[in-house]
Amino acid sequence: MTHVDVAGLRIVYRDDLGRDFTAVASATFSMGRGETLGIVGESGSGKSTLARALLGYARQGGLISSGRIRVGDTDVLALKGKDLRRFRGGRAAMVPQNPLSSLSPHMTIGTQLRELVTLHTEFSGSTLQDHVLSLMVKTGLRDPEVLARRYPHEISGGQRQRAVIAAALVGTPELIVLDEPTTALDKTVEAQVLNLIRDIQRDMNATLIYVSHDLHVIRSMCQRILVMKDGEIVEEGASDEIFHNPQSGYCKSLVSAIPRIEASGPSAPRVPNPSIYLSMNDLSFSYSAHSGIFGKRKRGPAALNKVNLAITRGHTLGVVGESGSGKSTLAGLVSGLISGHDGKIIVDGEPVVGVARRRRKDLRRRIQMVFQDPLSSLNPTHTVADILIRPMRLYFGLTAIEARSRAVALLADLELEPELLPRRPLQLSGGQQQRVAIARALAAEPDLLICDEVTSALDVTIQASVLDLLLRLQDMRGTSFIFISHDLAVIARVSHQIAVLENGTMREFGTRDAVLTAPEHPYTRRLLEASDTEKGET
Amino acid sequence: MATDVQNMSRPRERSFSPLARAVHSPLSVIGLLLVGLHLFFALFAPLMAPYSISAILTDGLTPPSGLHWLGTDQIGRDYMSRLMAGGRVALLVSLTGVSVALVVGTTLGIVAGYLGGLGHLGRLVDDLIMRLTDAMMAVPELLLIAILVLTFGKEIWALSLIVAIVYTPGAVRVIRSRTISIAAFDFIRAAELRGEKTGFIMIREIAPNLRGLMAVEFAMRCSSAVLKISALSFLGLGISQPTPDWGLMVQEAMTVVFTDPWFVILPAIALSSLIIGINFAVDGLARAYGVVGAETAT
Repeated sequence: MTHVDVAGLRIVYRDDLGRDFTAVASATFSMGRGETLGIVGESGSGKSTLARALLGYARQGGLISSGRIRVGDTDVLALKGKDLRRFRGGRAAMVPQNPLSSLSPHMTIGTQLRELVTLHTEFSGSTLQDHVLSLMVKTGLRDPEVLARRYPHEISGGQRQRAVIAAALVGTPELIVLDEPTTALDKTVEAQVLNLIRDIQRDMNATLIYVSHDLHVIRSMCQRILVMKDGEIVEEGASDEIFHNPQSGYCKSLVSAIPRIEASGPSAPRVPNPSIYLSMNDLSFSYSAHSGIFGKRKRGPAALNKVNLAITRGHTLGVVGESGSGKSTLAGLVSGLISGHDGKIIVDGEPVVGVARRRRKDLRRRIQMVFQDPLSSLNPTHTVADILIRPMRLYFGLTAIEARSRAVALLADLELEPELLPRRPLQLSGGQQQRVAIARALAAEPDLLICDEVTSALDVTIQASVLDLLLRLQDMRGTSFIFISHDLAVIARVSHQIAVLENGTMREFGTRDAVLTAPEHPYTRRLLEASDTEKGET
Repeated sequence: MATDVQNMSRPRERSFSPLARAVHSPLSVIGLLLVGLHLFFALFAPLMAPYSISAILTDGLTPPSGLHWLGTDQIGRDYMSRLMAGGRVALLVSLTGVSVALVVGTTLGIVAGYLGGLGHLGRLVDDLIMRLTDAMMAVPELLLIAILVLTFGKEIWALSLIVAIVYTPGAVRVIRSRTISIAAFDFIRAAELRGEKTGFIMIREIAPNLRGLMAVEFAMRCSSAVLKISALSFLGLGISQPTPDWGLMVQEAMTVVFTDPWFVILPAIALSSLIIGINFAVDGLARAYGVVGAETAT
């Protein structure tokens, strides 16, 4: 029997200038009670808009212009006022992407849950508190009494997302919509939360809709998948079917773009005598905090603890770890964003100390960095030409005309059109932005390029093309890379050597194949397992 | 920052020039028209006015007639001529005063905001600037203005200076807080890694990103300054005779408010239409540049 039935749903956004833009063209699908459906697509494909509409909700400026949504025997789009409020959070619940912004920062977790329970159930008095605690236990929150008294910022990201899931379960919903619920979480925490969601769905026999850009996660969670592109449903089918036998061209490229650990790594670099370019000896670092204007510096806990690493000329060192593992601290020390380390960093036989400003210009030029989020790393008021020409003029003293012709050549290397030169970052797509950011780093003709999560903010097909591009550029120029990522599959794609960091300590360092096929440290094994689970192979 | 990035990632809306977007809301069109009208009168009133603003033409209050369309005031000057010119001084003083405040405030705000994140010494500079603005903002505004008027007098240059002094601390605060959020972006990290000088980062990397906020701040503070100057004139602390000024005109007409209310109502309408005009225009500007309302309020 159909439980959720969507027919001919069309959602448009109207912008300030009164122009309409179709976010969802004409969505039709149905689900039986207890079924799980994944909606996958890249950013801007309309997947979140479609998912939210199931709760009768359209984002600001959005309008559900035609179509029908039925959940059970309820016509969702006909619900108004009180009935609609009771439906949302009651029979249908939503788990949004960012738990921090969906919890109120000035109320404790317990208070927020109590408020919802009072709204949607008959519990009161002491049974109310018991029910709240039981909800928290159900979502795997240990010590619920203690956590209930905490504020959202006092608990971890994983705990926050569990609390939000607990909030969604308040009304014992028959339909649960999850919008990228684990995107902000680390891989191992993500695996735990996914298990929790699976258990809850099974226990409650809830109909589940899971929205994500991550095909792996969707496949491990859902029986069926809808693939969306530009507001259209381009393919619908059983999970394994879509994964192994995609029909549409778009779906094929989507599946093939997913990085896999089993896939082959980068080819061996053609460097005549592969010598060590950079080495770190017993590198330690801790962030210090000032107290007051004249207060003493206080040392925090170690962000890096006696790390020993070496990077061979023309090779790529992949550094993998979860947030807080110290991988960005490592990048910061080498590039000169931060300073004050113990131990040694030796570049080309010469010890490196201090922030970038204190280093020789030539040393600054030789080590370049690309950041995670291109929107943040490109100045929105500068044109692409400004961005590329500045390092050339600074490091090589080129005239504006020389620099401009070099910029055109550089854009060609990055497979970008010279027409982009007068544009500003906001007029570029995400992939173009990150290519421009890479081009800026290469404009300095560095020996070492540090890539800090450079593909994490990109959609999977764009990620694949950027990774390929980086490999080609390395082959062309013989640049050494430090490639930092939380995603082991991405690291496996580009690295010759892999280092595994956990809590500032190096757990493993070796060649790519050794680390991936015969991991020595249990933490590495856990990381490998986490990325296996995600592929739905357990 | 998350919302910043979200707003930024909508190129389809951003591809229009800020002015084109501002003009699209009917309210801001009304606002811009009102402001334009007032600027026109302020510039050309002396050329268009039928009589001199200080010439005594009759024996005192006369009703509207063919010669004097709005009558004459208590001492017999042509009321329409005075009404047309009544916004000139207030506007001139506000525009120059607020410009100075914004230039000084932006400079100090960028320095405090950016250096404040650059280690011990920078934090000292930041603290110094911010405690100074705190000290200035701790003095009740009207008291501060009264003291400054007594010190500098009521000349146009003195009033402009006073507006500049009163509005600088607020501008410092707003610019500093925006600078701090801009300094958190990675393009500033990239510039630091290139080894750019601090001045370059402040002028070339940070300042251009403040343009929208500065435009909104300028307009908002001008409207507030015009209102404040008129209030001062009304209280006898601002512009003095024989210069025509709406605040002063309302004050003069208080004695005849029951017999000839028009002498109070007309300058009040003129003043409010200017303030409302600026505020409507600001709404459009703010939307065009994506400046959040909460941030411009001080």
